[in-house]
Amino acid sequence: MPRKRTILGTIINTAVFIILEIAALNMLTHNGQLQNFFISKASHWFMGKIWGATESVRYYASLKKENERLSEEILTLTRRVAALSEARSENEAEARIVIPEDNGKYDFIPAEIIKSSVNKQHNYLIIGKGSDDGIVPQTGVITAKGVIGIVDVVSRHYSYAISFLNSETGISSRIGKDGAVGPMSWSGTDTKGAVLREIPLQYRFEPGDTVYTSGFSSIFPAGIPLGTIVDSKIVNGATYEIRINLLQDFSAIRYVTLVKNRDIKEIEDFGDNDKEGGR
Amino acid sequence: MKQNFFIMYFLIVCAQLLICNYFHISAYIALSIMPAAVMCIPTKIGTGGAMIIAFLTGLVIDFLAEGLIGLNALALVPVAASRRFICDSIFGQELTSLGEDISMRKYGSGKVTFALLIEQSIFLAIYITADGGLARPLTFNLMRFACSLICGLLLSLVIVNMLDPNERK
Repeated sequence: MPRKRTILGTIINTAVFIILEIAALNMLTHNGQLQNFFISKASHWFMGKIWGATESVRYYASLKKENERLSEEILTLTRRVAALSEARSENEAEARIVIPEDNGKYDFIPAEIIKSSVNKQHNYLIIGKGSDDGIVPQTGVITAKGVIGIVDVVSRHYSYAISFLNSETGISSRIGKDGAVGPMSWSGTDTKGAVLREIPLQYRFEPGDTVYTSGFSSIFPAGIPLGTIVDSKIVNGATYEIRINLLQDFSAIRYVTLVKNRDIKEIEDFGDNDKEGGR
Repeated sequence: MKQNFFIMYFLIVCAQLLICNYFHISAYIALSIMPAAVMCIPTKIGTGGAMIIAFLTGLVIDFLAEGLIGLNALALVPVAASRRFICDSIFGQELTSLGEDISMRKYGSGKVTFALLIEQSIFLAIYITADGGLARPLTFNLMRFACSLICGLLLSLVIVNMLDPNERK
């Protein structure tokens, strides 16, 4: 009981103290300009602190609401990501299509590989587009990561293509966008290896440089990336033979793009005239 | 003849008014004997009562001494508020529990001087700060505090001696 009385007394004394001091300060503020200035300054500082603390408390109290809002936002974004992923997988074929420098000379036709082989010396591809889709022999088969093969025989609905993984297939290639040009063919040992030959010794290149199609063939447009340089060696003291690491993993191809040169007939006619002339 | 504390207190207030109105010794000295008078308020009067007495006394001095109204009241209330704590700490709890008053003869001049030093310091710290201290250089304020403390303490010892209950008998 005496303890309670002491606490009550302390509370009363504190209240009396605060009231008297506030009264004295109030009187001082109204009677002295200097005191008024400093007391106003102090009260503004104090109020600023109080408001700051109040804002902090309000912010803390609103965190629950903020968390709920963020959760809803995360849910919405997750749904959007899922929808986009779905759309992406649906358009996988289109996503793999690369249209290099389309100057109107080439037609690009998306297609699906029906069957292919990778573990023979003469590998092949069967593609789900044929003459009904405008496919003709000597149509190129490409992806965003390189040249896959060349169509050899066409039926109404299917095409038979000779794979790049074929010891008889060669593609005119260029080191970089404007470097030396030479024929590139499969190394014959693994699905990622190729060899670029007949590169003159005066040309400089570094391991890691990218090799593109040169555009010197009537089948493939220029600028399709094929692979990167691994290393090189000099052959017969005259040219470089460069080992290439192909960008395309041939064992995982499903969708390709068929590239058809509209002027191929005209170009081949020139070749025939040249042969006749040669005779 | 037993002297009444409140008559003595009234006389001390009058003395303080005379000091405020006629004894302008220096800008460095704010002479006040009221902290001593407040400290000597009988312990039978509680802290709340002492604070009210101190506040009213301060107001009377402010009104009649042509000073800033509220200045002495502002500085004296904390003196009264801390009175019990200081007395308990320095003189022991028996002072308040037995309802005795501060006596230099009983507790010795050293303890009384120390208690007065603390009370004067509290009073002067608030008084000097509230009396435009924030607009003045710190060195001036410190000098004013030190000079006022020494003068006020010497004068307060006389006041406490006058208010000593043993002396009043």
